[in-house]
Amino acid sequence: MESNVMTTYKDTTPAPRVEKKILNKMVWRSMQLQACFNYERMQSAGWLWAMLPGLQAVHKNKDDLAASMTHNMDFLNTHPFAVTFVMGIVLSMEQMKTDIQTIRSVRISVAAPLGGIGDALFWYTLIPITAGLTANMAIEGSIIGPILYFIIAFGVEMALRYGLMYWSYNLGMKAVQMMTANAKAFTHAASVLGVFVVGALISNYGAGTKLGISIPNGQTVGEDGETMVDVFINIQDYLNMILPCLIPLLFTLMCYFLISKKGWTPVKCIGLFLVIGIVGGIFGIWAGSYTPLVPVPWNVVA
Amino acid sequence: MDINIIELVLLAVVTFIFAIDQFSLTEIIYRPIIACPIMGIILGDVQTGLVVGGTYELMMIGNMPVGGAQPPNAVLGSVVAMVFAVKAQLDVNAALGACMIFATFGQYIVTLMFSAASGLMSMCDKAAAEGNPKGITKALNIHMLCLGGLFAVIAIIAYVGGTAMSEPLNSLAEKASWFMGGLSAAGGMMRFVGFGILLKIMMSNDLWGWLLAGFVFALIIGNIDPLAKATLILVAFVGICFALLDFKLTTMENNAQQGGVSDGI
Repeated sequence: MESNVMTTYKDTTPAPRVEKKILNKMVWRSMQLQACFNYERMQSAGWLWAMLPGLQAVHKNKDDLAASMTHNMDFLNTHPFAVTFVMGIVLSMEQMKTDIQTIRSVRISVAAPLGGIGDALFWYTLIPITAGLTANMAIEGSIIGPILYFIIAFGVEMALRYGLMYWSYNLGMKAVQMMTANAKAFTHAASVLGVFVVGALISNYGAGTKLGISIPNGQTVGEDGETMVDVFINIQDYLNMILPCLIPLLFTLMCYFLISKKGWTPVKCIGLFLVIGIVGGIFGIWAGSYTPLVPVPWNVVA
Repeated sequence: MDINIIELVLLAVVTFIFAIDQFSLTEIIYRPIIACPIMGIILGDVQTGLVVGGTYELMMIGNMPVGGAQPPNAVLGSVVAMVFAVKAQLDVNAALGACMIFATFGQYIVTLMFSAASGLMSMCDKAAAEGNPKGITKALNIHMLCLGGLFAVIAIIAYVGGTAMSEPLNSLAEKASWFMGGLSAAGGMMRFVGFGILLKIMMSNDLWGWLLAGFVFALIIGNIDPLAKATLILVAFVGICFALLDFKLTTMENNAQQGGVSDGI
């Protein structure tokens, strides 16, 4: 580990409980979670911005604030309405000056699964029901439709943000006090969980990165025994026989190697992927629905 | 189509706001059922706004911005459908059909923006290392300004150019398809940089097996159809079990090293 990466805070005296005013400010700021969304670290900058009032309240030491801001720029993706649950827990850990490594692991382990739960509850359940109720009112020309839609959707959203923030902050305070007895073992266990979840993210979020090369390979008799159907060899299918999601795994390990062993900056890695992606677009290597720039003897499939 | 400067300016302003709202702010106002009537007020035809909005909203159910995948963009879709329905007096279904190419460009802009914004991360890293909160605010503002601005430009093109713009946009989309295909492939890969940074900090030599185990569990659960959507929470449950086990083993080890009480195993 590099010497400039702090693993513990300099000032380890737990800060006093964060004021209600600041917690409320964080709830409002959490709306901007995706205001700086990007493919590299997704919601990280918006997350840090939402956390800032709390972080500034608990870290009076300037170096500690910088260290805290730095690790709060980690990759993060969770549900935008449920994010305050993660914020409350992380804030309680920051306040108790928990080991930085533990905060990192807990944050990603809590945030990643919440994304799926949030989508299921909000986008797959509440929004379709609300839309079903109100869309026909709108089509019939009633202004009540959109107004009702906004009140229901926004009301649930803000109630979630507010409730989850306070619930998880109080929960976090209790949990953090319990675990300080075995801090070392807890840090290691949290790392196990964190790394385990990152492994899951590689195949879960990375599955979109695959080859789209499909080579025509003559014709054969179709299932009905009469018509001839075209046969294609899909290269990705062969890769899957070696290891599904092989490319996402290799690319992640490559980034890890380049960043931690070769001293590459993230920006350099992004540049590399831009080249890999666009060269792939020219020759029709990556999966997607597009036409390659140069004519190639294979089809591009999604 | 006659061009009314006040309409045009107001249209650009609300498009700017909707573009930002689709990812932050309320994340509700940009939905067609609300956005279209608002545009209807600006264009002077609320009734059409309600009909287009309600129809588009029903179209979108099951087509949500979930899990990082982008459907053709709803903001430009509803702005342009409204312009076509009110100004070009297309019927609702024709307007919704004609807006799709603009929605595709909205999707292109989102891909471009999310790729380019990866460059903002180094600015944020620098601000964080200096403990400077203003730097983070600045990055957020730059992102929102660019995203909103680009969307507003496409809305203006749709208003001024009208349905006649569909043809040239279609051919542009065709010509740029390899670039957009390559860029969205690159966009999909950029998250591996984020994972790489996470691993740099978290990884120690005794944890490699856990990384592979997480990878495998997510693959297995993700490929079982009824479970696929809940993959990450299910994997996290398994992970919690392993973490508890690890906690127990480490405390036992520590106790043994300190010559403490034997566990009697």
